[in-house]
Amino acid sequence: MLKPTTLAMILAGSRVNELNVLTSNRPKSAVPFGGLGRVIDFPLSNLLNSSIEQIALLSQYRSYSLINHIGTGAAWDMIGRYRKLSVLPPSQGAEGGDWYRGPADAIYQNLDFIRFHNPEEVLILSGDHVYSMDYQDLISYHNEKNADLTIAFTRVPQSDAHRFGLAEIDETNGDSRGGRILNYWEKPSNPQSNWASMTILCFKPEVLYEALEENHKSDSYHFGIDIIPSLLQKNLNVYGYKFSGYWGYTRTLDEYWHSSMDMLGPDPAIDLEKWMFRTNLDHRNIRDNEPALMGKNAKVTNSLIYNGCKVGGTVKNSILFPGVHVKQGAVVENSILFYNNIVGKGCRFNKVVSDVNNIFGDNVKVGPAVCNEDTAVTVVGENNTIPENIEIGEGATISSGRSGKAWPARINSGEELQ
Amino acid sequence: MKRAKEALVLILAGGVGSRLNILVEKRAKPAVPFAGIYRIIDFSLSNVMNSGLKTVGILTQYKPLSLMDHIGMGDAWDFSGRSRGISILPPRTGERESDWYKGTADAVRRNIDFLESNPSDEVVILSGDHIYNMDFDAMIEFHRSKKADVTVAMMVVPRSEIHQFGAGIVDKHDRIIEWEEKPKEPRTNLASMGIYVFDYTYLLESLKKDSSEVDFGMHILPRAIAENNVFAYPFYGYWRDVGTIQAYWEANMDVLKKDSGISPEQWLIRTNVEAGTRVFDRAPTRMGENCSLDTCLISAGSKVNGTVINSVLAPGVVVEEGATVKDSIIFDDCVIKKGATVDLAILDKRVIVGENAVVGSGDNFTEANHLKPSHLYTGISLVGKGAVVPANQIIGRNCVINGNVTEASYLGAPIEDGETLFFNGEVE
Repeated sequence: MLKPTTLAMILAGSRVNELNVLTSNRPKSAVPFGGLGRVIDFPLSNLLNSSIEQIALLSQYRSYSLINHIGTGAAWDMIGRYRKLSVLPPSQGAEGGDWYRGPADAIYQNLDFIRFHNPEEVLILSGDHVYSMDYQDLISYHNEKNADLTIAFTRVPQSDAHRFGLAEIDETNGDSRGGRILNYWEKPSNPQSNWASMTILCFKPEVLYEALEENHKSDSYHFGIDIIPSLLQKNLNVYGYKFSGYWGYTRTLDEYWHSSMDMLGPDPAIDLEKWMFRTNLDHRNIRDNEPALMGKNAKVTNSLIYNGCKVGGTVKNSILFPGVHVKQGAVVENSILFYNNIVGKGCRFNKVVSDVNNIFGDNVKVGPAVCNEDTAVTVVGENNTIPENIEIGEGATISSGRSGKAWPARINSGEELQ
Repeated sequence: MKRAKEALVLILAGGVGSRLNILVEKRAKPAVPFAGIYRIIDFSLSNVMNSGLKTVGILTQYKPLSLMDHIGMGDAWDFSGRSRGISILPPRTGERESDWYKGTADAVRRNIDFLESNPSDEVVILSGDHIYNMDFDAMIEFHRSKKADVTVAMMVVPRSEIHQFGAGIVDKHDRIIEWEEKPKEPRTNLASMGIYVFDYTYLLESLKKDSSEVDFGMHILPRAIAENNVFAYPFYGYWRDVGTIQAYWEANMDVLKKDSGISPEQWLIRTNVEAGTRVFDRAPTRMGENCSLDTCLISAGSKVNGTVINSVLAPGVVVEEGATVKDSIIFDDCVIKKGATVDLAILDKRVIVGENAVVGSGDNFTEANHLKPSHLYTGISLVGKGAVVPANQIIGRNCVINGNVTEASYLGAPIEDGETLFFNGEVE
């Protein structure tokens, strides 16, 4: 049996404030996505489909939801003689321990783990993006070029470029697959490129070890800010690999909504079956849901529905996760409802993201009557019971788990209800 | 936590179920798909799991591959683990024709070694082809409280149907005092559901007595009732032997109805969604811009852009724009192309219905299938696994299109009411 040669390390520990209440109790990588699974399922499915079989997951922020989701790793076929998915939370050693101070520090603290596996390549990934990619193609490019580090880049709109790590890739000596990185800027205010880093880094192990030992002495622990510039400065072989497929990022609520909407339409940019997507069907027991039940008056158009849903009302341009119940006379439009939401009779939802286990009483209105590109997303945190007849204005935020707290009859646009 | 009793379970899953026609052409009756994502045996297996029983033997004989694939390691019903297990028990030796199981009791007798290596106080014997929800733990409790040798689960059925069942007459203590297997003249309306709790030692002794006693209902029970303590455990609720196409269709339709008494979800029915060779998960169902739905069950991985009324769709079914599916049961990965109509039909897996074709045409519901008039007589048409219905093809009522029939088999003619189409183009 062939022993795996690549070790993948997934950075899955971070949360971002911009995702608001969706990350109050889970890291970003564990945010539900796609009507079925979680964001982390995309890199995990990519690894499975790229036959990369040794994986470590570094988690720190409220990792229960994530660890629960990963389970044994069997969902991604990661149990076997040489196949393994290890979860690596921060830990204490003889010399005391520490929280991960940054992504590079998280990897540094697990160098023993990496050395033990003695890989030929270390693939470091973020667990936060929605895409389908064959990492083997990147790895063979990395090996062809005998690169010290190869980073995947994708083109983003110029107007968004300042939010990413950007590279100037050598076009003269490079080709359509990529080229040497001539310059690299981390989130520059004045972008000179629109090739954005996908935070997929393939390292020669010795190069990684040395870079991390050196970085450990500093007080900033980021690949984009610290490690990549330092390797470039040393004139090492750093390559950019160009990726042209779909790349969805979900750093803000608005982006989350837009990326989700890319799953809809007759020829969607995100096609789970084409991407050979896998999730852990044991998590939240989604495998046990009966088929979706559509009632007498159900109207469902341009939407995704999973097993366990019950629809008696109208659902348009929306995504319903397993176990969502839309009662008679309710209208749900342009919305994403996570697991087990119950939408009462006569409710009106427009451009809403509602986290898990919310129960809406009858005739609750969330979001504006009509919605357009500029309409703000209204977000409702998990585990709430929303009384009947109340109105939640456009772009409002409802905190998670407000049990026992009073509900005003109206929550104004943009308001945050703690 | 409630501590369930320990008992050995034997599920009889070898029956042919031939009245299910082409649905059992390539699979045993317990493996026939039901209500979209389930198979018939899921109901028995889930009842066993939900009763807290942990050791199960499944006696197979007829076309067991699909069933074995579905059961897998038994993880779906929590049967894998140190102190639990599920074993497939096919007929063994196999050199002589006489080694096949000759009946229910014979099948159990041939697995006496399995019984002896799994000692317990009771043995629960049940059939793998019924749709119901039952707590066997309560039945074992009843069995113990009556100090019974055998307990038979029984329910009240209409007198007109009693001829299909084992019928029992009980005294006021629920003791069975008389037994008739499939009586022609009804004297009672109490029918056996084919679920027995046996005292372990009693079962072993009883089986060893006379090897010509090959059937529980015909041989073992009548003798036990005459000589020993046999009690009837009363069952109230939804129970169906979906052994005919009509009963099978009705039970599927019952799942769509609110108050029919059947609910896989409330009954905590589990299935093995990962059976088969799929390497990735079913995506959520995609409802298109022209999707129109009324009272239907739709499983993940389907794509619906047409009209679906009063029907059950298994995973991966495609209903294209302008297509209509009505009063039908559609198995996994069928494709109903643009403008096609499927009306009162059961389509086995991977059937392709071409553009503007009609399966179930006209209103002559009563001309029974010529070949099997007792199978199809209410208008339901069947299309076998992997069959193709060409574009613009018309298929009438009570028709059977056999599995893997290709476009060439049709010879350009409509399939009239009651006709059966074979792969070689023969129509009967």
